[in-house]
Amino acid sequence: MKISGSYELALPPARAYTILQDPAILARCMPGCDHLNRIGETEDGHVAYEMKMKMAISSVQGLFAGTVKLADPNEPSSFRLIVEGSGKIGFMKGEGVLTFVESGAGTDVRYEGEVNVGGVIAGVGQRLLDVTAKHIIKKFFGKVVGAAGEME
Amino acid sequence: MSTTISVTEKLVGKSVRRREDPRLITGTATYVDDLKLPGMHHACILRSPHAAAKIRSIDISAAQSHPGVVAVFTGPDVAGVGPVPCGASLPGLRVPHHAILATGRVYYVGHAVAVVVATDRYVAADALDLIEVDYEPTAAVADPEKALEPGAPAVHPEWPDNVSFTYHQEGGEPEKAFAEAEVVVKQRITSQRLVPMPMETRGCVAEYHAAEKSLTLWSSTQIPHLLRTLVGQMLGLIENRVRVITPEVGGGFGCKLNVYAEEALTSFVAMKIGKPVKWIESRRENFLCTIHGRGHVDYYEIAAKRDGTVLGLRLKLIQDLGAYQQLLTPAIPTLSVLMMPGLYKFRNISADIVGVFTNCVPTDAYRGAGRPEATHGVERMMDLLAVELKMDPAEIRLKNFIGNDEFPYATATGLSYDSGDYAAPLKKALDLVNYRELREDQRKAREQGRLMGIGISTYGELCAFGPSPATPAGGWESATVKIDPSGKVTVLTGASPHGQGEETTFAQIAADELGVPIDDVIVLHGDTAIVQYGIGTFGSRGTAVGGAALYFALKDLRAKIKKFGEMMLESDDVTFSGGVCTCNKTGNTVSLAQIAGMSYRAMRLPVNEEPGMQATRFWEPPNFAFPFGAHIAVTEIDRETGHVAVSRYVAVDDCGNIINPLLVAGQVHGGVAQGLGQSLWEQAVYDDTGQLITGELMDYAVPKATMMPWIETAHTTTPSPVNPLGVKGVGEAGTIGCSPAVVNSVVDALSPPGVRHIDMPMTPEKVWKVLEGARA
Repeated sequence: MKISGSYELALPPARAYTILQDPAILARCMPGCDHLNRIGETEDGHVAYEMKMKMAISSVQGLFAGTVKLADPNEPSSFRLIVEGSGKIGFMKGEGVLTFVESGAGTDVRYEGEVNVGGVIAGVGQRLLDVTAKHIIKKFFGKVVGAAGEME
Repeated sequence: MSTTISVTEKLVGKSVRRREDPRLITGTATYVDDLKLPGMHHACILRSPHAAAKIRSIDISAAQSHPGVVAVFTGPDVAGVGPVPCGASLPGLRVPHHAILATGRVYYVGHAVAVVVATDRYVAADALDLIEVDYEPTAAVADPEKALEPGAPAVHPEWPDNVSFTYHQEGGEPEKAFAEAEVVVKQRITSQRLVPMPMETRGCVAEYHAAEKSLTLWSSTQIPHLLRTLVGQMLGLIENRVRVITPEVGGGFGCKLNVYAEEALTSFVAMKIGKPVKWIESRRENFLCTIHGRGHVDYYEIAAKRDGTVLGLRLKLIQDLGAYQQLLTPAIPTLSVLMMPGLYKFRNISADIVGVFTNCVPTDAYRGAGRPEATHGVERMMDLLAVELKMDPAEIRLKNFIGNDEFPYATATGLSYDSGDYAAPLKKALDLVNYRELREDQRKAREQGRLMGIGISTYGELCAFGPSPATPAGGWESATVKIDPSGKVTVLTGASPHGQGEETTFAQIAADELGVPIDDVIVLHGDTAIVQYGIGTFGSRGTAVGGAALYFALKDLRAKIKKFGEMMLESDDVTFSGGVCTCNKTGNTVSLAQIAGMSYRAMRLPVNEEPGMQATRFWEPPNFAFPFGAHIAVTEIDRETGHVAVSRYVAVDDCGNIINPLLVAGQVHGGVAQGLGQSLWEQAVYDDTGQLITGELMDYAVPKATMMPWIETAHTTTPSPVNPLGVKGVGEAGTIGCSPAVVNSVVDALSPPGVRHIDMPMTPEKVWKVLEGARA
């Protein structure tokens, strides 16, 4: 499934860029995120985190364990996000690019990527995947501003 | 001697109510999941979330130590169990080894990877979550045409072209016919993957008696005896020590005409732990790992003269097989080829099948099995030809039908059509809808800008399977009739009815032949320890083959009864009728009960007769039977939403003689419901990575009662000469006749904006897009 959109963050691009790479912020803001631990850099130079996250879609819910990788850093204008996780209700793989464009006093964060799911969540949740993903993203960005404020 | 005469009304041909129904509608029937055996354990199966992956490792330790879990088994544990069998053979057929648990690799989403046995079903299901499987996903392919492209991922690495078999059949001179044709019409036509969707999912209970080395397997199956033979072979058990029992079966539609990994796996587990084990398929599992039906991509070409005379038909058929060959998987598209000519005088036929592996659950028989696809193809092509030649679709059919004087008719595909009057049901259907007036209504509707369509399909059907040389497992059927000393009658049929109502129709036949009240007859089936070997119920064969076997067993008994009557009445001029033997000279009578009693007491016996009153016949049909009919669907399409409303549905079926009109109507209704499901709503969709994205009933639109039109049924009657009952079979007719009628109707409705063809399912979204495309 292709996924794309944008969100206006009331933060300057440099700040938005940093915030969205901060594991503490990510862990707090990702809906259902249980924990996010830095596990170091991968061979290809990506910053990698181990992640546990609760997912609920359609009639199924479960825990996903996996990794989050940050790649192709191009501060402060873009980086690549690679997420892989699996659990009892299936698996997900997502990869996307976030770009940060100055917009007035804030930043227009644009994301574009592809998400694939498998197993039960694919079988029963496909029709809701699109809206669920949008909902999760919206919730995430909504929390980011607050979390960033607290950290000031 | 008694002189009472009991006259019983003939029951064959009457709408006797189903004797099965009281237990079904009061919830007192016993399905597999209703069984509770002392000490019974429960199995749940871990299934692959990947369409293609290597299994690096499986860690079952946490599951094994979970409280209540008795055992966990994975692929290597079941290496000694034989593969899931493929009963069909074709030259050069590639049959992948189909182990009952995946070993080393998984080939489709839902592929069984491990089994957990526990004291409780919920505990077993919970423990599945504790199994850690380390998969290495590999590239998958789910679309049969993409699987044929160079460089496509190989489903089975040993066969990189993904081709399981190719098959060519030709009759007449197709090259010449196409060279000489004045008009050739071509079209790509698909018959999508469908989920057969019985109300009762699959399930089984296995109990092993180690001391006797005997296994009892209760399974929701259409073929108890074949299952016994084949599961026995898989497990290395001695056949007569395997007993298969089919309790109530809540629908099969072909998907239970199979031998599944789980039947052997549940048995294996029961043997290992020494306890009875139950496995019940969940609805989600049913979507993922019970066979699917259809899965055709067909490229048709029809050759004709400008006056509408058809000359030839060519077909390139791409069959999506899925990852494995199940029992009949590769045979199904060959049935399509056999029925390609339909009811028409196609003397020149050419067909090429390519059977393609995909990373999907295997396809196999689903109601109609190969014939709906063929009928859909030829009936669409006849309509496309009619459009091309600006002829009326009824007219072009009437022009090309095989004539009444041409039976038995040898088709270009090697069949011998038994009997027919192909124009009769079409004319009747046209009368029923007032065809001329209806076309006038359509003209007016079009003037008002409405999209109204009239679709005709005239189908022929290959059924009553069938002569043994033409079937994978023997095509005969068996029947035993036992008359107790009290004169009560027990019928044992080797056909294993599961909704067809043969406890009723076979009792009608027996009651008529023996002249006893229907309440004196019971019909037993589906237990290999009680019933003589039989083949089973599929391919519209129950009555046409099983009923014929019953007829001959009854005939044998009638002869024996008459001999006892002659002896007891001391006359050689005796008639057996109405349940009594009557001496035609004296008028003295003996009842069936008296005769049966005498046959067991055996104080005296007729010359050359044995005691007892029992007969068994195994009847081999000399040919298939060929039902036919005409269905007309009237549709109206909402321009704004693309919604298709079926405003009228007329089904005129000729299934030969009718034993029970009520049950025939039921079969037509059910068949049409499934045909409409395929036409308008149902489709099993795999995404590009091999994930089944229509994995529950929220996504897979099985028609509900409220979505059904009123179905008007009528019949013409052309008895079949193939069997003594003159019946042809009707179980699949509705499905076969329906989809081309509905698609032809929708295309007819959409023809003013210039639509030429539309593939199923014709969902509102698809129809709306087609309309938008036509507007653009």
